[in-house]
Amino acid sequence: MTVVTSVENLRLKFPGSNSLLFRDFSLSVQKGEKVLIVGPSGSGKSTLLQVLTGLIPDSIEVPIKTDNVTTPSSWGFLFQDPDTQFCMPYVDEELAFVLENLQIPREQMEERIKANLDQVGLSFEDIHTSIQTLSGGMKQRLAIASVLALQPEVLFLDEPTALLDPEGTDEVWKTIKHIGEDKTLIIVEHNIEKIVDFVDRVILLNEHGKLIADGTKDYIFKYYTDTLREHGIWYPGVWDDYLANSSLKQTYHEEKDSHQERICLSEFTGFRRKEKKIEVRKADIHSKEWIAIIGENGAGKSTLLHALMKLIKTKGLYKINGQQYNKVDEVTKHLSFVFQNPEFQFISNSVYDEITYSLSQENWNQKEIDKRVEECLDVYNLSKVKTNHPYQLSLGQKRRLSVASAMVRQQPFLLLDEPTFGQDARNTFDILEQLEAIRLQGSTILMVTHDMKIVENFATRVWEIREGKLVEDCTPNEWIKRSANSLKITDEGRSNDNGVKLSSNLVTQN
Amino acid sequence: MTMELSSQVTWLHKINPSFKFVIIVILFLGLLFIHDINVMVNLMFGTLILYVCFTGHPWKRLLLIAIPFLLIFITSSTSMIFFGKGDVTWFKWGFIHITEESFFRGVHLGVRGIEFALLGVTFALTTRPVYLFYSFMQQLKLKPKYAYSFMAAIRLLPIMIEELQTLRYALKIRGVKHHKGLRGLYERLKFFSIPLLAQSIRRAHRIAVAMEAKRFSQTSKRTYYYQLGFSRYDFLFVVFFLLIITISYVAMIYFPYVDIHDVRYEG
Repeated sequence: MTVVTSVENLRLKFPGSNSLLFRDFSLSVQKGEKVLIVGPSGSGKSTLLQVLTGLIPDSIEVPIKTDNVTTPSSWGFLFQDPDTQFCMPYVDEELAFVLENLQIPREQMEERIKANLDQVGLSFEDIHTSIQTLSGGMKQRLAIASVLALQPEVLFLDEPTALLDPEGTDEVWKTIKHIGEDKTLIIVEHNIEKIVDFVDRVILLNEHGKLIADGTKDYIFKYYTDTLREHGIWYPGVWDDYLANSSLKQTYHEEKDSHQERICLSEFTGFRRKEKKIEVRKADIHSKEWIAIIGENGAGKSTLLHALMKLIKTKGLYKINGQQYNKVDEVTKHLSFVFQNPEFQFISNSVYDEITYSLSQENWNQKEIDKRVEECLDVYNLSKVKTNHPYQLSLGQKRRLSVASAMVRQQPFLLLDEPTFGQDARNTFDILEQLEAIRLQGSTILMVTHDMKIVENFATRVWEIREGKLVEDCTPNEWIKRSANSLKITDEGRSNDNGVKLSSNLVTQN
Repeated sequence: MTMELSSQVTWLHKINPSFKFVIIVILFLGLLFIHDINVMVNLMFGTLILYVCFTGHPWKRLLLIAIPFLLIFITSSTSMIFFGKGDVTWFKWGFIHITEESFFRGVHLGVRGIEFALLGVTFALTTRPVYLFYSFMQQLKLKPKYAYSFMAAIRLLPIMIEELQTLRYALKIRGVKHHKGLRGLYERLKFFSIPLLAQSIRRAHRIAVAMEAKRFSQTSKRTYYYQLGFSRYDFLFVVFFLLIITISYVAMIYFPYVDIHDVRYEG
């Protein structure tokens, strides 16, 4: 066996941070190995990949010191964000960009482009297709195709599915398994459920970039499940472990108390540029409900939330506590909203100001504000960072702050657009528990999600949106039964993603 | 630049982009030395033929784009009409002093403004940025580093527009109220520019790293997916403008609209 990439006694420090990220770190990978690197966010997993490929320090200037670095003779790097991998607007031009860099003669380009697209299972009528029109999963597969154009021996994958929906995630891992069979793979990933069968070596890092464990996957899962859980890794069975240890569990499906009707919708439609984008024939929302809004990408889930917030034009009956409102300002007295990307809702320079903002708009007196804010900082575990700029927070802290600033006015309805998206397991459970606590205090939660485990374990009601219409309104149990039935009917091999996920859930439950 | 506007491909699209660029820059400069209002109006009509007939875009879009032309005309002509120097007074009221000379000079400036706009927009509507930069690299020896930076930046624009929309929603929901006047403008600038810039800088950095990971480097030679050369359309383009210019001058001599051949004030 030959070593394809290695590093000896790596020391690395990011400018501005106080401590070394890696201290005398050594690692070597043999040809043909499939290695999975896991660790908490900030443990330097991505940095390590960049060192092994030479991107650090060649492209990204970070001071490092090593005794020896071996970079592979041919390698490809797949990044996390599908939108920031491409520099050209069209599929063929993007792949041609790689071929141009390799100085492939122009005459061979088209053929090679088609071959690479074929390898990742993408086929276009015209290869001159705009990248902007592709789904996230397709974009990542295109990124894989452009990596394959480099004819790499070693593939570095940096959380390639972290920003994809379940469908895209499946597509991408399937593609990676297909093309990676004969290659050396080094994978960094949080959500390891889909990939764990494929790897043969797991490396565990702690938050300071120290190697905790290095071994076969069986060894790691046998002896290090606690560490995995502590670090928020989505290992297989993480939900079962969570549910087994959780005290909140019993209260999830508790009978809802007397239904005081809160929001009424009837023939409610939302428009974007005069086009009807979402339609709800009839629905009531009551207090203490947790409604999971599910559906495919582009079905209109976010649009429904925007319509309820009155951000887009709406028609039909929409009453909050018997009152019809027309302005965003009036609606926000009752409803609050949490965006998918928390950074877009931050408007002040410190965590403290961020939470007080809505209150000062409402003319609370200073004493009340202080008290309420302290409460919030405490509940959402942000007291330590209250003077920091919101942008300086970690991913989980940002998410908590966005929920805190939305909830500070204690509106009875909370709308969330995929709040657990891209979060590690620990953050996800934290958020869910906080939302559950809010709900038990009497609030109502409407949440767009792709995660069927959340639907199953937290929601009290499911809304399915299909092609801009609310087509299903039932309890999670009913929904699970129904999709299990429809799964039996459809061809098993081609069952949809929700079905696959559910069936595996059902197996673990039995 | 043609972002995602689809259009039919016409002979204007097939001209070598660098060549088209150079010709238009020369025309821009040349226009500055034309002081005969008759010639200027004729030239405008000549370019209008290109704009209306040969850009390949639907007429509705062309009309929509033409609306700002009127604005250009009004803004660039009125100040000269109202306040310019002249001897033959038509109208006088306070500071406003319209004379025959200032009126025609104003119209001349307005027409020149429209002519600039027509040339510029015709160029933009018939040139794909990607071809333009490939051609710059091949014909004008622009360094790939700069060409690809521009192309990558163009890709970011639609993403930024989407983000701007999200930001507007977020500010609405948070109940952000802007002050009126200059202070409001500053606030708005702050609210929008910081998140947008923060995201864009991060994104630009990531794209740069991704490009280098795909072996983009400054030193090595490269091959080109699009090979842009010259064709008879380039010739046609030059002939078209030579013809327009000639006709403009001939028409000025035999069929002048007004008997003013130099709008500059010499008195």
